[in-house]
Amino acid sequence: MISSVGILITWLAFLNLLVILLINKKDLYQLLVRINLFLHFLLFCILEIALFLDDFSLNYIANYSASSTPPLYKFASLWGSLDGSILLWNLVLSFYFYLYIKIYKKNNELYDIKIFSLIIIFFNGFTIFSSSPFAGCIQLASVGCADFTLLPFQNLVESLSGRGPNPLLQNHPLMAIHPPMLYIGYVGLVLPFVIATSELINKNKNEEWIKIAEKSTYMPWVFLTAGISLGAAWSYEVLGWGGYWAWDPVENVSFIPWLLATAFLHSAKTQIKEFTLLNWNYALSCLMFLSVIFGTFITRSGVLISVHAFSNGNIGTYLIIGLTFFTLLFLIIGIKNIEYFQSSSKVTNFFGRTGFFVANNLLLAGSAIVVFIGTIYPLFYETIYSKQITIGRSFYDILVGPILLLLIYLMIFSTKITKNNLKITSWLEENYFEINLSIILSIIFTFFFRSSFKFAITVLGSILLVVIIGKNILNKAKKTKLQGSYWTGQIAHLGIGIFAIGLIMNVSQSYSSELIISSGDTIQFGNQEFNILNPNEVQKNEKNVINLPIQKNNTTKNASLNIFKNSTQQAISSPAVFRNVESDTYITIKVIDDNNFKLIFRKNYGIFIIWLGLAICSLSFISRLKR
Amino acid sequence: MKKLVPLILLSILIITSIFFFEDTDSRYEKLSKSILCPVCQGETLFDSPSEYADDMRIVLREQIDNGLSDKQIMDYWTSRFGDRINTNPQNENLILIIFPLFLGFIFFILFYRKIKQ
Repeated sequence: MISSVGILITWLAFLNLLVILLINKKDLYQLLVRINLFLHFLLFCILEIALFLDDFSLNYIANYSASSTPPLYKFASLWGSLDGSILLWNLVLSFYFYLYIKIYKKNNELYDIKIFSLIIIFFNGFTIFSSSPFAGCIQLASVGCADFTLLPFQNLVESLSGRGPNPLLQNHPLMAIHPPMLYIGYVGLVLPFVIATSELINKNKNEEWIKIAEKSTYMPWVFLTAGISLGAAWSYEVLGWGGYWAWDPVENVSFIPWLLATAFLHSAKTQIKEFTLLNWNYALSCLMFLSVIFGTFITRSGVLISVHAFSNGNIGTYLIIGLTFFTLLFLIIGIKNIEYFQSSSKVTNFFGRTGFFVANNLLLAGSAIVVFIGTIYPLFYETIYSKQITIGRSFYDILVGPILLLLIYLMIFSTKITKNNLKITSWLEENYFEINLSIILSIIFTFFFRSSFKFAITVLGSILLVVIIGKNILNKAKKTKLQGSYWTGQIAHLGIGIFAIGLIMNVSQSYSSELIISSGDTIQFGNQEFNILNPNEVQKNEKNVINLPIQKNNTTKNASLNIFKNSTQQAISSPAVFRNVESDTYITIKVIDDNNFKLIFRKNYGIFIIWLGLAICSLSFISRLKR
Repeated sequence: MKKLVPLILLSILIITSIFFFEDTDSRYEKLSKSILCPVCQGETLFDSPSEYADDMRIVLREQIDNGLSDKQIMDYWTSRFGDRINTNPQNENLILIIFPLFLGFIFFILFYRKIKQ
């Protein structure tokens, strides 16, 4: 029943989109776009209802939810696998379509409506022709569903209990927030794509298109930043390895759009203020969205193995076709506008705004390319040599590391960037006190943490950045409110500076050791004492949890092993984390052997500072709100 | 005099960091961070909480204690689990480093020429 209703509404939404694409009545699309949003919201609600009703006649629910799944994770199961996540994707896309006509649409043309509806038709079409979360189950597997139908009103079979979500996805509440945040970020990058292509396809183009494109990129950028940060936090809390970023392919493909969007937010300013870099801005505004589709292809087509990857048959081909189509659209419109691009002003001041932003863009785009190469090289290698290869952290350390360091040093000058060249001598004089202070702080830091040269120069750059921008912000905040895009940038840069300090502490100082203990022991680790108390076992609907209480001073925290009933995967270890501003003590259970536990103790430095920096960076939007 | 202060401070920072301190990573850390756990999803031996990785770490410790060279140790692991277990492939695949640098160079030249015009 729910299956048929869902499928019929999906068709209805598809038809509605076709009407938007094909009609030429300018007064009608306003209504149709709202209907489109309503239909997609309805689909979202219906699937949530089905999840809570445990309707296992739906293939998706039988395979990715279970009656024993706790409510929060039932709710989050909607985006726990491919078909459902496309539904969320479509809802967000429809929401942006509505937002676009409501806020960003400034002309009377229909090009943008056509391009936008084409994009939604593409993603909506996937749920009609390939696989839908509403597909009914027609053949049972031993657990869950083995075969499904995409047609309504079929004879469906219902399994008794579902297979349940992947254990990793039901172990932390952030699962309910991190993916939607990221999606709002990713999908939002459709706006600059639509704005750039539709304005440039139009002969009477609005020269203001870049302003609108820049504005529309900012909100997705905030969500992308927050989404990636939450993902890092989730990884730290759930995966039990004490880290937050592994250069996993799926992390990489979320980082590429972020890098490009960051580059665009800067380079758009050069066009707004000085009418330079027109072609580059056009390319960036489109590449952001194309890199999102590419990322979806890489991670959802099953070509790569990763913690996040889930795939489903033919989505790879489908996405490649879409990627090619939208890339061609981008290229053709670009070629048609070569004359327009040539009207761009020349860059004259190397140490002025454009010069700095060109350097910034080269570095950001450069790291995007490095991450891109690192992600796809294993694919090429395997195709050519039939051997697998893994590109690990050290590759990115060698190439992305120095680029980010240069960016930090560039950001230091961001307080004083105008059209004219920056006078370095007067800059040095103005910031004489801050420079000396930062160097002294760096020397103290270097002594205290016994760090090497590599770390010393990074620390120096980050502290300089924090001190100089911090002073700038404080001076302004004393007088008036921080408002406007300049201050957004300053706050974001401050966040990055703090983040960089935390990062360098984490990378250079953290250490760990493995200990075999039994309950009642007292462990000495990093100048602190930990008492191991008696373990206890908790039976829940969906899992058994073995808790090992660990006491430090007066606080007790549990390190635990989660054994999921519906899963053949190994137990998942949740850490006990004793937090501190400077460092966390992060304890995970590795192995339980009779009454002995093998524990890993990690001293993770700078974690709090990293979260603080990322939070400030994400909150920079406050200064851009209209009051 | 005023200009000298930051320069002196800066040289203190550089000299101390270059001459007195070193990376503290032990050989075990370095190697366990560059060997992939073959049964986990993209985690290194150092990071992985799995039992399988635990056994591998014990073997790795023995190898270091027995004084095997880095190359001997990596050869041992890659001959058993294939090249994919080595997470530092750029040492054998220099193109991975050269290609991005080359691209960066081209980019730079293009921009430079554009600006010069």
